[in-house]
Amino acid sequence: MNISTITEQYIRERLTKGVRENGRGMMSFRDINLEIGKIPNAEGSAEINLGNTKVLVGIKMDVGEPMRDKPDEGSIMTGAELLPLAHHSYDAGPPSAEAVELARVVDRGIRAANIIDVKKLFIEEGKSWNVFIDLYVLNYDGNLFDSATLAAVAALYNSRMPKYEGEKVIREGNLEKLPIGNLATSCTYAKVAGTTVLDTDGSEEDFADVRMTISNDEKHVRAMQKGLGGAFTPGEVDKLVEASFEKSKELRKIIQGTRGD
Amino acid sequence: MKKIVLPGDIIADKPLRLDHTIVEEGKTCSTVIGMFDEAAGSLIPLEGLWYPQPGEKIVGIVEEAKLNTDVITLNAPYKGLIISKFSETSMVNGDIIEATVKELDKTGTIILVRPRVLYGGKVLAIKPSKVPRLLGKNDTMIRQITDGTKASISVGMNGLVWVKGGNSDLATDAIIRIQEESHVSGLTERIAKMVGSTGQPHQPQPQQQG
Amino acid sequence: MGNSANKPELIIDGRRLDGRTPEQLRQIKITANPIRNAAGSAFIEWGNNKILAAVYGPREALPKHTQDPNRAVIKCRYTMAPFSSLEEHGRPGMNRRAIEISKVTREVFENVILTDLFPGNEISIFIEVLQSDGGTRAAGITCASVALAASGIPMRDMPFAVSVGKASDTLIIDMNKIEDNYSNADMPVAINPRTKEINLLQMDGELTPEEVHRGLEMIQKAGETITKIQREALKAPYEKVNEKYKASI
Repeated sequence: MNISTITEQYIRERLTKGVRENGRGMMSFRDINLEIGKIPNAEGSAEINLGNTKVLVGIKMDVGEPMRDKPDEGSIMTGAELLPLAHHSYDAGPPSAEAVELARVVDRGIRAANIIDVKKLFIEEGKSWNVFIDLYVLNYDGNLFDSATLAAVAALYNSRMPKYEGEKVIREGNLEKLPIGNLATSCTYAKVAGTTVLDTDGSEEDFADVRMTISNDEKHVRAMQKGLGGAFTPGEVDKLVEASFEKSKELRKIIQGTRGD
Repeated sequence: MKKIVLPGDIIADKPLRLDHTIVEEGKTCSTVIGMFDEAAGSLIPLEGLWYPQPGEKIVGIVEEAKLNTDVITLNAPYKGLIISKFSETSMVNGDIIEATVKELDKTGTIILVRPRVLYGGKVLAIKPSKVPRLLGKNDTMIRQITDGTKASISVGMNGLVWVKGGNSDLATDAIIRIQEESHVSGLTERIAKMVGSTGQPHQPQPQQQG
Repeated sequence: MGNSANKPELIIDGRRLDGRTPEQLRQIKITANPIRNAAGSAFIEWGNNKILAAVYGPREALPKHTQDPNRAVIKCRYTMAPFSSLEEHGRPGMNRRAIEISKVTREVFENVILTDLFPGNEISIFIEVLQSDGGTRAAGITCASVALAASGIPMRDMPFAVSVGKASDTLIIDMNKIEDNYSNADMPVAINPRTKEINLLQMDGELTPEEVHRGLEMIQKAGETITKIQREALKAPYEKVNEKYKASI
C-alpha cells in the first residue's frame, strides 16, 4: 500500500470526467523534444523528452558476419536498458521482461518498415555491417514504446555510415549518411479507467488495463503489439489504427525536421 | 546577509550549535546546500530530507494495519508506527492519516500518536525542505490557498500533503509552484494573485476524443 | 590499443595534442538535476566525456540483509553505455573494470556522507557514462558529488576528482583517451576540498616519489577550478529563478 493507490483513485476520477494532467486531450501526445547528435562518438544518436520521459538512443555499427539466412544483407540488433537511475523501481541486473519487450517491439517496427536499407549494408562475401540500436531509458514517466521508437528512428535518420577500408573501420571524417529506406513511427494507446488514451504518463500507465502499440508508415501498418492483461474489441482496433495514421503525420514531420536537407 | 552555502563550507570559525552543520577542528561547517543567515544564526536547507521532531504533524498512508500496531508509510527514510492500544482510531491498509510525532527511536522508527483518518482526496509528495514555506509564517501561506480554493488541505512535515474538495487542481498547482519558487521573494503576493479572491474558476477544459 | 610502435608524440613545444598546456584542464560544464525522478542528479560534460549521475534515497535498504542497523549503506554503480566510445560497440552492464570503479567510488562517498543519520537505509549512486574520452571515473565522482549535494543528503565535504599522468617526462593533468593510451603513468585522485583528505588514489605506470608529490600538488590546484564549477552548477538553479522575477519585482 503506498501513494500510488491514492493516485489511482484520483486519476480514475479525473479520467471519467474527461480530464488529464495539464488539460491534455485524450488523443494528444505530451510535448515532444528531440535532440540529435548528443553522442558524437556514436554513429548516430538522439535524445527524446516526451513530457518527463527521457530516452537516449545510440547507434553503433561494426563489421561482422551476415545472418546465415540473409547472406547479402546487414543485420540489426536492438537492446533496451531500463537504467536504475531512471526510476526508483528499476533494478540493476539482467534485462527484465519489460526491457526485452520494449527492445523487440521497437526492433520490429524498424525492421518491418525497412527503415534501414539493409541490402546496402553488405560489404563482401561473409562481411556486412551490423547496426546496434541501444535504447537507454534515463527518466521514466510512461510511454517508453513511442519515445524509444521516435528517438531510434530519428537517430538512424541522422546516422553517419562508417567506411571499411583495408580491414579498418573509419568512423570519422567525411562520411555518407546511413541509407534510409522508409520512415515509420508508433502510437501507443492504453485503456485507463475505461477510457482509451494516447501516450500515457507514468501514473496513468500504472493503472492501465490494456495497451496497444501500432507502428505504421504512410501506407501500411508495420507492427502491432497488445500488452497487459486486458483486451480490445476488433472495432476498437480499427479505430486505433485509423487514429495512428492521422497522428503519425505529425510524428514523421518531427523526424523529417531533424535533418537539414 | 543571507547566502547560499554548500556541503563542507565553513560558516563559523568557532563551534556553533546549529542544525545541518558539523563541527570539525573547532570550526562549524554546513553539511547541506542551504541558505545561511549569519545575523539570525540560521541555516535552512534548500533541498532534501526531513528530520522528525517531537510534536510535528505528519501525513502518511497505512501500509500494514495489524492487531497491536499500524505501520505507516511516510515517504521518508523512516517508518511510522502507531501503537493501537493507545489509539481509538481504527484503520485499514491504504487509509490516509494525519498524526503527530511522539519520538524517533534509534532504529529509525517514528512513534506516532493522535492519528486521524482523512477520507477521499489525493496525496501530493513535495520536498520536505519546502514545507515551512508552504505553511508560511503563522500558516499565512497555506491559509491563503485554502481561502482562495476552498479546498481542504493537510500538510505533513514529512512532505506529504493531502488535498480534497474545492478547486483542488488550483490548490495543487499553487503547492507545486511554492515548491519551485520557495526561495524567491514576493512569493506570497504571487500565490495570492494565483489563487485570487476574485473567485476565478480554474478548471482544465475537458477535451473530446480525436 | 596502446601500440608503442606508432606511439604519437604527446607533447610538442610544451603543448599537448589538443593544444592544452600540461597544467590545463579540459572544458568542464555541469548541470544540476536533469533526472526528475531522482532525489538528486547531475550531468557533466568534461571535454568529450558526457556522464550522468543520479542519487536515490535514503530509502529502506533492500534486500534486507544489506541493512546496517547503525547507519545507511551506500551503493554505487558505474557503467558505460555500449555506444559511448568511438571504437566498436561495447557490452552493456558491468565488467570487472566497472565493478572496481563502482567500489572505489562508493568508498569516496562513504567518507563524506553522514551515514549514521539514516540507520537501516540505503543511498544509491548511479553513474552512467554516455560518452567516454578518458578520465571517466574522475569525472563521474565529480558529477556524483554534485548530484548528492543537490539531493540534500548531508555531507562533510564535496569531493572532486581528476587524474594526473606522465607523457615522456612531463606531468600532465586530466588526460584524454589518446594521452591515457600512450602515457607512462596515470594517477586518478579524489580530494575533499575543505579537509584536503584524499578519498581515492589509484596509480599505475611509473612515477618517482618526487613526481607523485608534484602530481598531487597539480591535482589540488586543478581542484580549485573544478570545485568552482561544481559550486556554480548547484547555485545556478536558485539564481535563475531569482533572475526570472527580478523584472517583475
